[in-house]
Amino acid sequence: MVRSKTSARVAVLEMAHVAKAFGGVQALVDAGLVLYPGEVHALLGENGAGKSTLLKTLAGVHRSDAGEITLHGRAFEQGSTRDSIEQGIAVIYQEPSLFPDLSLAENVFVGRQLVSGGLVDWAAMEKASRALFERLGVNLDPHAKARGISIADQQIVEIAKALSTDARIIVMDEPTAALSSQEVERLFSVVRNLRDQGGAVVFVSHRLDEVFALCDRMTVMRDGSTVGTSLIRDTTDSEVVRMMVGREVSELFPKLEPRIGDVVLKVENLGLAGQFSNISFEVRSGEIFALAGLVGSGRSEVIRAIFGIDRYDTGSVTIHGSRLAPGRPAVSMEQGIALVPEDRRQQGLFMASSIARNVAVTMLKKLTSWLLLRRTREESTAATWAETLQVKFANLADPVDKLSGGNQQKVVLAKWLATEPRVLIVDEPTRGIDVGTKAEVHKLLSQKAQQGMAVIMVSSELPEVMGMADRVFVMREGQHRGTLERSEATPEKIITLATGGAVAS
Amino acid sequence: MNALKNLIKAREVPVFLALVLVIAVAGIANPSFLSASGARDILLGVAIVAILAVAQTFVIVMRHIDLSVGSLIGFTSFLIGDLYSQGYGLWVGLAAALLVGALVGAINGFLVAYLRLPSLVVTLGALYVVRGIFNDYAFGRTITAAMVPPEVAWIGLNRLVGIPVLFLIGLALVIVSGVIMRRVRAARDLYAIGSNPVAAELAGIPVARRVFTAFVINGSITGLAGAVMLGRFNAANANSGLALELIVIAACVVGGVTIAGGSGSVWGAFLGAILLQAITRTIGALGIPQFWQQAFNGALIILAIALDKYLSTRVMATTIMGSKDE
Amino acid sequence: MSKFSFSWDKGVGIFLILAVLLGSLLSDNFANVSNLSFVLRDVTEFAIIALAMTFLIISGEIDLSVASTLNLSSASLGFLYRAGVPFELAIIGGLLVGLACGLFNGYLVTKLGLPSLAVTIATLALYRGLSYALLGNKPVNELPEFWISLGYGRIPGTFIPWSTILLVLLVALAWFILHNTRYGRWTFAIGVNAEAAKFSGIPVQRTKLALFAMTGLMSGVAGVVYTLRFASASPDGAAGYELSVIAAVLFGGVSIAGGVGTLWGVIAAVLSLGVIRSALQLAGFTANSLLIVSGGLLLISVIAPKITEGLRNRPRAVSKNNTKKTIREVENE
Repeated sequence: MVRSKTSARVAVLEMAHVAKAFGGVQALVDAGLVLYPGEVHALLGENGAGKSTLLKTLAGVHRSDAGEITLHGRAFEQGSTRDSIEQGIAVIYQEPSLFPDLSLAENVFVGRQLVSGGLVDWAAMEKASRALFERLGVNLDPHAKARGISIADQQIVEIAKALSTDARIIVMDEPTAALSSQEVERLFSVVRNLRDQGGAVVFVSHRLDEVFALCDRMTVMRDGSTVGTSLIRDTTDSEVVRMMVGREVSELFPKLEPRIGDVVLKVENLGLAGQFSNISFEVRSGEIFALAGLVGSGRSEVIRAIFGIDRYDTGSVTIHGSRLAPGRPAVSMEQGIALVPEDRRQQGLFMASSIARNVAVTMLKKLTSWLLLRRTREESTAATWAETLQVKFANLADPVDKLSGGNQQKVVLAKWLATEPRVLIVDEPTRGIDVGTKAEVHKLLSQKAQQGMAVIMVSSELPEVMGMADRVFVMREGQHRGTLERSEATPEKIITLATGGAVAS
Repeated sequence: MNALKNLIKAREVPVFLALVLVIAVAGIANPSFLSASGARDILLGVAIVAILAVAQTFVIVMRHIDLSVGSLIGFTSFLIGDLYSQGYGLWVGLAAALLVGALVGAINGFLVAYLRLPSLVVTLGALYVVRGIFNDYAFGRTITAAMVPPEVAWIGLNRLVGIPVLFLIGLALVIVSGVIMRRVRAARDLYAIGSNPVAAELAGIPVARRVFTAFVINGSITGLAGAVMLGRFNAANANSGLALELIVIAACVVGGVTIAGGSGSVWGAFLGAILLQAITRTIGALGIPQFWQQAFNGALIILAIALDKYLSTRVMATTIMGSKDE
Repeated sequence: MSKFSFSWDKGVGIFLILAVLLGSLLSDNFANVSNLSFVLRDVTEFAIIALAMTFLIISGEIDLSVASTLNLSSASLGFLYRAGVPFELAIIGGLLVGLACGLFNGYLVTKLGLPSLAVTIATLALYRGLSYALLGNKPVNELPEFWISLGYGRIPGTFIPWSTILLVLLVALAWFILHNTRYGRWTFAIGVNAEAAKFSGIPVQRTKLALFAMTGLMSGVAGVVYTLRFASASPDGAAGYELSVIAAVLFGGVSIAGGVGTLWGVIAAVLSLGVIRSALQLAGFTANSLLIVSGGLLLISVIAPKITEGLRNRPRAVSKNNTKKTIREVENE
């Protein structure tokens, strides 16, 4: 639903020729963005394209070095986050940043509490936030502490906060990454609501299907500059991808011919109270076994239990016929299991440490003789694997936080592939990664499978599951709902099973 | 009804219940404990820690800590007496105490807020630097009863409506602080800072300014409280206030002002101080020899911290700070 | 090892040299063999504990109870000996007590999940209190001659105190473990990101427990050395030592946040502390000045990195050599 009066409207925000450098690095070269009131505007681009920096400039976190920014027809006062908030800009970051110890009402009004007579007016804040929650169509208790509410609800609170500041521009950075499809629908209707009331919503996402479903216009960035703007209805998937990447990306999911062998890993009746129950499956060498389902269906919990990060209450895991001791990641590693975790920054990497240290950390025992850790071996192992995976870096001694998301993921993969596992478990292997690296990762996984590795892949991206998996194990709310062979798997069937329906086999 | 339910769920309730329990136990073991003079003893003994705990709350809710308070209050209590004995009068002494307290608070605050140094380390260093300067200043002298300003001696000895004046000072402080922490906007920011420091910045809260101010407030109250300490003991020397910060922090933790920041109230800290004092007296009332006192204190604090952790993990369903749960 | 901690090392080394020069200037009695031997003996207990504390702080934890543990070990030693236990066994008893103190701290932190800062402030009181409970007001002063001479004396014909041999052995061992074994790597990894360490197969809780236990044991060793040196076991010895240990460790380049540090930096820092203390004493300053110096060093050790960090992150002119690659580096949030 695009307003057709585009040419008559006055832009609420115009950013042109914005440049910004950090130290010696030019993050923004010639970036621009034009927003009109009453639209949902997608901001697209690979990791490293400059989207975050541009938006943070708008949010008041950074000041630009050059460029003109006009807000509501006047020059934009670049100052602090407070200044931006006061000028009607609200940003909802990917990780909602609420205050767990404060009530929801106080979260909505944080830093700008309502007062009467100079003192904080709790009753007024409660009343106002209750009204906002109702307007957004959610049932949240203003008194409740923010700790423990779901990410989807946290986002709603953030939106309520934005509304309470009379924000005319609301920026959402990858808001759907951790939402179930129902929550995504709820979010979409809230966003459409905001648009219909005249707000301008900036929607940053890697998920093109969502962009095409929700947004009116889009702007694509690449390497610090804006490379194109258009109406959504005037463009296509592949066109957008080409603008983002700068080249044709034909084979996004190169699937090689599988050579499936014997059963390597067997999971029987695995259960953990409150998380999952009665999970059984077998994985064979050479197979890519996908665990599909909605966010929150318990898949990450299952693989964490298999690997030993968490313990389980019932059931067993056997690898090559022998029982695997629970709760001991080191033992799992010795038995040839590897886990590439969901959250690469928090769980997969030592951000401040060097690339070499990160790659070698899983190999320390093998690099040691007579208690002495051979540093030269450490470095050469790291170098070998970094090269094999084509990680783009300057020095092995550089800290990994200097790398892009895609290269960071490759470092995590390197560290685990170095252990030469028989079973490789990957949890959301391409989340938050640019299209180019995504294809590389998929190719890598396919190759490894073809070489005999058993791959277990948890993924919430249907195209990825459809493209890679030999078998799809669908879970919902901690239970197994069905298993589909590659030949019979369709997105509809997977979603049906994932949302509780049944499928004729 | 909702308000009542929320009241019951408050962190301060377990502390209050524990206090009642302890007093009951002590009363059974030693009935004189429950007498008016027994109660007065507790109130008298608790005044200093209570005041410092209330002041420390401002700092702890921000997820910081100030370990220099023991050295500071010892120093200012000595200073007041010393200046008075040199003929400077009460008000000069009080002004000096306030100034020294504010200065130490400002230095701590500056290092923590603007240079972003860890408060543990900064105030640990301050603890020793202040103690060192204090030692040099005192140089073996002591403040005797004769050197205590009569007004200060008065507040130490007297009662109003049967309650020791020292305690009333603490009570007045906690009432005022309670209102401030609940109803003043800048004070609410302290809780936000402790609950999620990164989000606080993004929300436009002037974090550095708030942190600095909180340390100055804590330092100023602590400095002035030197008068309370002087009044209580009618004496001061280079060892005054030694190891006091430990008990103050314990009182805060016991009272629900969690070290992780973001929650707890000045009333909780106040109750926590009373509870600790009651337990100390109970140990005495039960006939346990003095030598075990410090060991018991230590064990108690461990218990308090463990309980605090247990209570807050029970309340937490899923953490919103950690990685997304699948 | 990041580039930064390496240059911090050098900085402390230079500081040590400067401190020695300063000492020589302040007093004629400073730069002779006898005084240096005194300095070595003086820092031995600090240094022993600092070795273990280095590991602990790198792993992201802290132990403020070390002085009390030292003291409790000393008190236990005296208590056992006074009760008639042969001195050698009493020494072992003292060491075991130290180990137990460390294990208790470790248990509270790893099994009960309590914050180490708060908990060790509490055990600081608990252990010291137990010393009082053990010895009351009566220190144990009658200790065997042989052992006292070991604690205080030097190798015949040299200026090297016996206790320094022990120290050198422990330093070598600590250096080897920290920088050349996987246990050292585990320690660093846990300090940088304990969760990622767990996901990489490192036994985080067990390692931390071991580090606390080691810290307790080293405090026990220091307690034995202390007792022998002063020929006395009393409940109020070594008060405030924890400050000097932490000041030395932090000044030696170990970051309080964890994950960064070298052993040489800490050794240089410990020696600097001893040198400055000796220089001040010889120049006529009171013993009290050590408190101020330690506090000051502590503050410098945390302020200085911030300043250098601030200098390094100054916005610089844009260089033409920056490739597209670098944009990705910055973008990654």
